[in-house]
Amino acid sequence: MGQLVASKPTSQMVHGEVSDEVTQYLTFSVADERLAMSINAVKEIIETPQVTRVPMTPDYIRGVINLRGSVVPVIDLGARLGRGSLVLTKRSCIVLVEVQVGDDSHVLGMLVDEVKNILDIPPEDVKLPPEFGSEIRTDFIEAMGRVDDVFVIILSVDHVLSVQELAALRHFTEDTTLSNSSE
Amino acid sequence: MTTNNAQLVFLQVFLEEVAEVLQSVETALLALEKNQFEDESLNAVFRAMHTIKGAAAAFGYTPVVNFTHRVETLMDAVRSGQMVLTPALIKTLFECCDHIAHMIEVITDDDALLNTDLQHTGEILLARLYSASPIPTNDQNAIQPLIESPPIYTRYLDLLALPVHEQVDCFGDLLVSIGALTPAELAQAVQTQRNSLATRTTDCAISTQQLGEIRVEPSSVKANVLENTMKTQENVRAKRQEETRVIRVDAQRLGHLIDLVGELVTSSAAIRVMVKRAGIDNMTEVVDGVDYLVSEIRDNALQLRMVAIGESLSRFRRVVRDVSQELGKSIELIITGGETELDKTVVEKITDPLTHLIRNAVDHGIEMPAIRQAAGKLTTGTIHLNAYHDSGHIVIEINDDGAGLDAALIRAKAELKGLIKPEDVLTHEEILRLIFAPGLSTKDQATNLSGRGVGMDVVRRNIEALRGTVELESQFGIGTKITIILPLTLAIIEGFLVGAGRDQYVIPLSQVAECVEMNVNETRKHRGEHYINLRGEVLPFIRLTDLFENADSTRTANQRESLVVVRFGHHKMGLVVDTLLGELQTVIKPLGKLFERLRGVAGATILGTGDIALILDVAELATISHSNVVIKNSS
Repeated sequence: MGQLVASKPTSQMVHGEVSDEVTQYLTFSVADERLAMSINAVKEIIETPQVTRVPMTPDYIRGVINLRGSVVPVIDLGARLGRGSLVLTKRSCIVLVEVQVGDDSHVLGMLVDEVKNILDIPPEDVKLPPEFGSEIRTDFIEAMGRVDDVFVIILSVDHVLSVQELAALRHFTEDTTLSNSSE
Repeated sequence: MTTNNAQLVFLQVFLEEVAEVLQSVETALLALEKNQFEDESLNAVFRAMHTIKGAAAAFGYTPVVNFTHRVETLMDAVRSGQMVLTPALIKTLFECCDHIAHMIEVITDDDALLNTDLQHTGEILLARLYSASPIPTNDQNAIQPLIESPPIYTRYLDLLALPVHEQVDCFGDLLVSIGALTPAELAQAVQTQRNSLATRTTDCAISTQQLGEIRVEPSSVKANVLENTMKTQENVRAKRQEETRVIRVDAQRLGHLIDLVGELVTSSAAIRVMVKRAGIDNMTEVVDGVDYLVSEIRDNALQLRMVAIGESLSRFRRVVRDVSQELGKSIELIITGGETELDKTVVEKITDPLTHLIRNAVDHGIEMPAIRQAAGKLTTGTIHLNAYHDSGHIVIEINDDGAGLDAALIRAKAELKGLIKPEDVLTHEEILRLIFAPGLSTKDQATNLSGRGVGMDVVRRNIEALRGTVELESQFGIGTKITIILPLTLAIIEGFLVGAGRDQYVIPLSQVAECVEMNVNETRKHRGEHYINLRGEVLPFIRLTDLFENADSTRTANQRESLVVVRFGHHKMGLVVDTLLGELQTVIKPLGKLFERLRGVAGATILGTGDIALILDVAELATISHSNVVIKNSS
């Protein structure tokens, strides 16, 4: 590595900048699957407080929480990824994420089963997502990251938490009953 | 002039002031149309032109100064009886108003201001103003793009009447420009003034006075002229002081204040909960005191954002006047309830739909005088605008005694458009509501229905975007009444907390009529909808746990329920809840973009315990419940 730096200082510098920004990922588990997302979007991680259900919303909207005086919507990542609503445990967490809608930024919460750790995945270990063969909607997957020879799905926050899509609230979906029974 | 921040702020104030002054000119002109000799209105127009001229001069907007000056001179002639105010002249004055507004609009763009088109329009207007007038000749040849010199003496007075402190510098310059002083004399005077005033005071009156006094010594300005100017200055200053009782505040700052007050309300509720929990008895009194103060502060803070609707309603006088004159109709606009207050943001957003509705009433509602006479009506049609508060909402009614809506024609047209089938059975109201359907709004000039539908869907959407409703009553040949019901959309409301299933909800207290114990024996179900016999009255009701599908499984079937009777518009409905938890002050927190398409919930609020309760929109709940029933019935 030292030799590489000595021989190609410029490329190393560029590389270094990129790795600072891009290669840190937060990993967490949802329905026994390990997932990752870029750390850049993450604002804060909190323990699950009392979540107030909002009636007549799809199952992937878990409800709203009181975050220091603001009302913040919480998305159930399990339901959003098609794995069914998550059951709250001691380890359940809400990952607060800032998303851009037009010129405004909105804070949304993502309910996950457990937050694992922050990983450095070098760019060369980040591969394009498979075009098929995944149980998760392909546009939700930004890339695949290789960690200890196992591939972890890196989620595309913009798509998973697309406010335009989430706001297309369908009343009384069949899923609503499903989310009730699982709570 | 250099552009800097301070100037931008002044410019903003200037623009607002001019807009306001123009509004007052319109009001005065409308009054003059009725009685052309009304002195107060004549003076108002004169003063307004003067004010705009003065303010524009302070910013160096010469074209505006020139134009307003000419109008002012004309008004002066009218005032002194040299000229007669003809209807044609009033009409031109209206156009002058528009022209000034137009000039002000483009004022920040220097090129546009010098735009020859604009100047040309101005000159045409001026030519028309002066064509019929025996105005002193020295004014008539003064159509020049520079500050001209009509009676020097009045110019001088005018100048001194400008009490803006930025004017101090201009003051001297203008004295020179009107020839009262030479540049050398001015330089000397300014120097003397500077020497005598160690620090330059911001009070323009003092400094200008100084300048005036200094001038007396070398006696190049006549003393009596100065005396007069002083007097004018005093008067204007007195007027200014009166005006300063109103303070302009940045809306954003006000919004921030209201947000903070909202937090204070929540915190105070939290303290109450804590004290109750800790069981500290002698704290209760203090908490009560704080609560009282907080609610007072809240009421006052909210009051700051409330404006009377009258000002925005009276601008429709101009709309009615213009459109009716154009069409050759005789229409009287009556405005009542102008003192009704509502949130400024709502006022701004309601103007467009209202304009549309009023144009419709003038254009398509009120008939031509001849037709009215033939129908045995007064030749002058009446449009009545009325505003009032009703259970936490503001109601705006537009009532015209025109032709009304032809239900048969609407129906025929809707069938033609495929909106309804010929075999559909519709009530009179349902047929009338069809004009709000987007499909029906295509123009078809052949019928008197046309236009009535144009843009009505837009009006409805605008009003619904404010979470309001619009209702329509009309009788063919007799008239039309449109009722708009809007929430006051305040940041904080009095709420009534109820428990249903596992959740708690807030119902706006203003909509709660009464709470009674639910008596299941008195209920009936008809075509999927539930009704209860409430002291002989048939009341539809909704069970919240059914609608929200959040029934608490631990609850036993024979537990008592309560019926909350709510009012909205002209309707009444019952909401069946599990528990009544009492009144509270609630700060409305918006649910944000994610929930913007969610109906039935107006927002959320944070309770003293830190939990969130949703605020229900009663009228929307009724609609949702009704449409669910319709879906179930049809499937």
